[in-house]
Amino acid sequence: MTQGLFDAFYLPPALARDAETTVQRFGPAHDAIELRLATVTPSNLARWIDALCAARAKHLAARPASEIHRVLERVAQRFLDPQSPVHRNATAWLARSGRFSTPMIARAIEDTFRPLAQGGVSRWVASELGSVAVLDHPEPDRSRIPRQAFGPEWMLQIYAGNVPGLPVWPFYSALAMKSAVLAKTASQEPVLAPLLARTIAEEDPDLGACFAVIWWKGGTDELDRAAIRRAPAVLAFGSDNATANIAREAHPDATLVLHGPKVSVGYISSASLTRSALGSLASRAAYDVALYDQQGCLSPHAFYVERGGEIGPAAFASALGAALEALRDELPRGEPSAERAASVQLYRAQAQFEEAIGNRGTQVLASREGTDWTLVYEDGAGFTPTPAYRTVRIHAVRGIEEVVLALQPVAHSIEAVGIEAKGREKADLAAEFAAIGVPRIAAVGSLQSPALSGTHGGVHRLAPFLRWSTVELGSMQPRSPKARRPKTRPASGSRSRKRKPTTKRRRGRR
Amino acid sequence: MRRVELSRLEGCRADLSDLTPERIEFIDSAPWAGEAPEAGEADRDFSIEAIRTFVFQQDVIPDYGAYARHLGLETRDCRLWKDIPAVPVSAFRSHDLSASPSEGETTTFETSGTTISRPGRVRLTDTSIYEASVSRNFVRHLLSDGARLHAVIFGPAKAEAPHSSLWFMADHLVRELCAGGTWVVQGGEPNWKRADEEFERAQAGGQPLLLFGTTLLFQAWFERCDREGIRFQLPRGSRAMDTGGSKGAAVDISRETVQDSFERVLGIPATHAVNEYGMAEMGSQFYGDSLLAAHEGRAPCPGFAIPPWVRTRVLDPETMRDVPEGKSGVLVHYDLANLEIPLAIQTEDVGSVAAGRLRLEGRLPEAERRGCSLPFERFVERERA
Repeated sequence: MTQGLFDAFYLPPALARDAETTVQRFGPAHDAIELRLATVTPSNLARWIDALCAARAKHLAARPASEIHRVLERVAQRFLDPQSPVHRNATAWLARSGRFSTPMIARAIEDTFRPLAQGGVSRWVASELGSVAVLDHPEPDRSRIPRQAFGPEWMLQIYAGNVPGLPVWPFYSALAMKSAVLAKTASQEPVLAPLLARTIAEEDPDLGACFAVIWWKGGTDELDRAAIRRAPAVLAFGSDNATANIAREAHPDATLVLHGPKVSVGYISSASLTRSALGSLASRAAYDVALYDQQGCLSPHAFYVERGGEIGPAAFASALGAALEALRDELPRGEPSAERAASVQLYRAQAQFEEAIGNRGTQVLASREGTDWTLVYEDGAGFTPTPAYRTVRIHAVRGIEEVVLALQPVAHSIEAVGIEAKGREKADLAAEFAAIGVPRIAAVGSLQSPALSGTHGGVHRLAPFLRWSTVELGSMQPRSPKARRPKTRPASGSRSRKRKPTTKRRRGRR
Repeated sequence: MRRVELSRLEGCRADLSDLTPERIEFIDSAPWAGEAPEAGEADRDFSIEAIRTFVFQQDVIPDYGAYARHLGLETRDCRLWKDIPAVPVSAFRSHDLSASPSEGETTTFETSGTTISRPGRVRLTDTSIYEASVSRNFVRHLLSDGARLHAVIFGPAKAEAPHSSLWFMADHLVRELCAGGTWVVQGGEPNWKRADEEFERAQAGGQPLLLFGTTLLFQAWFERCDREGIRFQLPRGSRAMDTGGSKGAAVDISRETVQDSFERVLGIPATHAVNEYGMAEMGSQFYGDSLLAAHEGRAPCPGFAIPPWVRTRVLDPETMRDVPEGKSGVLVHYDLANLEIPLAIQTEDVGSVAAGRLRLEGRLPEAERRGCSLPFERFVERERA
């Protein structure tokens, strides 16, 4: 199944016919796969964007949102079904592309597609927008003011390759709000986005005319510019440099949601550190660390553990070590590159150096062989991200105050906090972390399962991109059933038509 | 391989003033690979010097001594240089790893700091060993024809960057081995006109030049010359040393691109554009072979030359055991030019050693650092200041 060439792009059939392609080798030299990529030029980009917008006007803008959502939900189901060729194909190619172990990929597919299947897309849209129909025609909101939501004509989406499954929710978000999509895959993960696009197109060829998935080398100025400058909306994941470049190049009226680099942490209260609870707590914490080899922004790099419980922070560290050891087989790591492993080794050696000179009570616990997992225990709060691949710092702390002090200066780099606490304390701790601007607060063990209807980087997944028309004409007669049919919005040919004074620039990170 | 006779080391708890002249003597006389009577003997001599240094350092650099004891590596366990524990290069940032008393007058080199960590520091009371290492290595790889040239430094003078080992090195080379120097960076800004004037003068007068600087600054000057259509044809015998590669640049610059630019803009052939790899935490550097090979009339060897007073171990990044010759892994350097700071340094650089030559495979490519996960590198980026 994974022999031969992989088509690492998707263009609607009408565009694919004339597209030139090249073949590139991907992955380690001894086990590379061959990727066929569409040749991207500035004039191609312009032509493709025009075609996607025309297709959107024809097939997407006037179509009832619920119908589109059902297509997307069926596709999610196909990815989830272990018997379906789509599922098998995705698993096999993700495994062949070499970053993650097969059990990890299975987990990623499950966690990514489960919330979208069986009515998931509609529920998500309804929870953010109030209803699904609001995408089709004015619907009264809670104050009974009718309003209609419009997604951008098209979205530019730029993916990162650190977590498998990353492109799926963004891709769905665009189609769910009837926007065309031009997606640029990550050079580290060229597989899932084109597979998803092909599957949606198979399920619904009309929808398949409204998006393209391509790759070009990031930093190729003329291509970056050609795409970014025209985009009415950009959703991008990338380094500080990459996101700064997008913000610089984007049209002043464009809506931007840019996800820069971030990590997560955990906080464990003394009340929850009991002998009976330790095993479960340690496995949940280990799961949060191990998932996606700590590559994602939801991966914890530090746990702040209160002293004074039935179990001390050091005992928690030992239990976490044992739990990570168990996950070596259960949820194996992908093989880190030599450079990554070298960073882990240097980090370990530095911690051993601190241990040697008795600095902050540092102790190092690590897997016996290899860099499989590393725990560095120390007294007092602090924050430095680790080199990942299951490398965590355990800070023994007196309480939340010192943690807040330590995190405040770096709060802009924190995506989420996983909390383990009891009763009222939970809400109190959550309030403390919310106050310093941490965008997401969840339970230990659920850090890696964000709610689809929740936020990423502090912003919702749909809301920032929507433009609203509100109808403030006082009480009106109900509209005739005929008039309720969705109106086709004219495809806007000039940028000025899309300019709205209410459009704000938003960034997913502060 | 014969073992070092430890009896020779006993009672050798010498002080800095005893060890320094001996060490300079060692560096000045160590035979280069191929000139050595026998590799095993050279290795034995190296081991003796290295273990002597370790004995000295574990006393005078208390944190290094504590680390060695913590790892269970005492002097008596050291039979070969490879047995000496290596400090993580990051420890220079977190701790003072100098044998010099902090209140005394010292030369301080800094590695660049980050938003949350202070810069790493290397303090030396005596820079003569460092200078001996710099001179011998530089003469061999850039001045093997005995030329004494005017130098054009693509960087600041030492007075403007008092804590940079690189510009200390440039200053030393100009003073000791060149017929004067011109510094292109002034007041923190590159003054391209100064470089242009020197190149015009050399072109007119037929005097070859020595260029010295960072790859990035040379690249910036090349781009400006390309933009403005500026070209020079420097006299035959002109040569350049660039260091740092494209680290910190938005786009990777290949070695071929750098060599092409030297040839295209300045008329310096690829043989005369020598790449250097070094770090503030090491007294010694590594040079490409192209100019020496041209001088000796042979094809250049790949990679960087490891000077005979330096050894580099390559360890499997998972197991931290030595890899077979030519295989890549984590680089650990043992540098006898480091007397006041630990001689053995574990880096996070990846490379290989074959036939006594070091090949760098670099650090994490930019592509791997992207994503929504905060890169460790952003916090602990180590650059040579």
